[in-house]
Amino acid sequence: MAWRALAAFAALATLPALPGLPTYYLLLAFDALLFGAIAMSLDLLMGYTGLVSFGHAAFYGLGAYATAILLERGVLSVWACLGAALVVVGLYAAIVSYFATARRGIYFALLTLIFAEVVYTFFRYTQTFGGSDGIQGLPDALLWRGVAIDTPRRKYYLVLVYLAAAYAICRVVVTSHFGRVLVAIRENEDRARFLGYNVQRYKMAACMISALLTGTAGAIYPIRSAFATPDLMLWTESGEFIISVMIGGLGTLVGPILGGAFFTILRDKASSFVDWYFIVIGGVLVLIVLFMPAGLLGVRRLVGFRQWRHGA
Amino acid sequence: MDYLVTVLLPQLLHGLVFGAALGLLALGLTVVFGLLGVMNFAHGELYMLGAYAGIAVVGATHSFWVALILAPLLVAALGAVTEVATLRPIYRRAPLYGLILTFGLALVFREGARQIWGGDMRRILPPVTGSTPLLGMIYPNYRLFLLGASSVLLLAIWLFFTRTRAGVLVRAAVQDAEMLDGLGVNVPRLFTLTFAGSAALAALAGLLLAPVFTVYPQMGVEMILLAFIVVILGGMGSMGGSVVAALVIGTAQSLFSLWMNPQRVAIAIFGIMIVVLIIRPRGFFGREGILE
Repeated sequence: MAWRALAAFAALATLPALPGLPTYYLLLAFDALLFGAIAMSLDLLMGYTGLVSFGHAAFYGLGAYATAILLERGVLSVWACLGAALVVVGLYAAIVSYFATARRGIYFALLTLIFAEVVYTFFRYTQTFGGSDGIQGLPDALLWRGVAIDTPRRKYYLVLVYLAAAYAICRVVVTSHFGRVLVAIRENEDRARFLGYNVQRYKMAACMISALLTGTAGAIYPIRSAFATPDLMLWTESGEFIISVMIGGLGTLVGPILGGAFFTILRDKASSFVDWYFIVIGGVLVLIVLFMPAGLLGVRRLVGFRQWRHGA
Repeated sequence: MDYLVTVLLPQLLHGLVFGAALGLLALGLTVVFGLLGVMNFAHGELYMLGAYAGIAVVGATHSFWVALILAPLLVAALGAVTEVATLRPIYRRAPLYGLILTFGLALVFREGARQIWGGDMRRILPPVTGSTPLLGMIYPNYRLFLLGASSVLLLAIWLFFTRTRAGVLVRAAVQDAEMLDGLGVNVPRLFTLTFAGSAALAALAGLLLAPVFTVYPQMGVEMILLAFIVVILGGMGSMGGSVVAALVIGTAQSLFSLWMNPQRVAIAIFGIMIVVLIIRPRGFFGREGILE
């Protein structure tokens, strides 16, 4: 498996070298890979642990705001931005996951959703952070002294390195003993508990990993876009993450990367052709649920969402 | 005393009015959830479509009262078609699929409305104007009508579920749809009709609130979140709980806004919700084991 992943990343690394590739496509590739990375981190929770988080937009948005606030105030180092994002997202995720993992199924989804809405409302109405306009017009970040991440190519490589690191972390997590316990919890939480595992601690750990990876993705986003707005943490954004995971296939890691990339490109392409592209996106979603429930890469059986099943 | 009559009382009544309308929305959500096991993300869009259908009918007939009957019927028809075409094939799947499917439907409906009616804010003139002196204050007639209409509707729904055969069938299907199927009831048709009914209720809420609020394609997005909160707070699948929770949230929101800015109000409402979910995870009247 490892060589296939290496080959895929090598192919992605040569993308900017393609002759005549417009900058526009390189930035679209940035967005696609970033969205894919977020979907992959969410898959750790949804596909492996069986927890559906409707609040990942808050992790993403908090990371983005951490970078944006530092860049706005003249702290240009990428490492400072990433560090700040990890601290902020980590603290917030610790609180959310502590309360949310105590509940199962749809209650987990709703607690994460409401916590995220609190964060959204805070940034939406706090004028210090630009209110509903967010923070705009950010300067380029510096990799180190004198080396700015200013060209699309450098930005693309930044996200590619991040995706590779995040994928490696997720792969290690799901193949480890820890990851197997997560799957056991997904399949039957009570039995995992009877076997002596502290189920909530495992769930919290999975949440934290997923949240920190998503927060890091958020911290990278303003480096390309030069802005952070509260819309990044709206609950519909969380919905789009979930959709990407479903399109790609639950519990496959690679699937959600493809799903996220597919979703980003579909949104972009549809919007450049027609004004009513949300109808296209919505329609594609409906068709996927109806005819391709296991997703692009999904296993043919429906992943065991026991906790979600009605009345179970 | 002056403060009570001129500030507190009207605000409390505002809250009840809004809460009653919110209750209509939450009831449909809760019944569909209890019956089909689907958290209907498109419910807010049915609410929005109700308001737009109302505008269209008012434009054609110049009568709010005709719209009040026709608009819910139109949206109910759309709901029935949607249910048969998309939800029926996935009954046996995990609820997550219903969530994603309805999320997609919501996108389609929202964008459809924007394409047909444009993205501008619109208003419907209230069919009843003027105001009435009440308990020492002056209160707008339309809001009184809104409160009355919502209360009558809620009572009618309660009677439907307790006194009619159809209502009993729906409740039986919530308990055990397979058993009901075995007893010879056409369960798929029951599901479709229930979904259509819930769509009609959402449309009615949308149209009733339209003269008070503004009508725009995104209007369902914020409302659906509030309705979800109400459904959870009341206890998933509990109809009485939904109505109680809707009134509580409606009045709480309205009273809080006397003392806080909108940001703090929203955060306070979410705070209540988080505390309730932590100390009483199944809401006010939730039963054990639903969707856990």
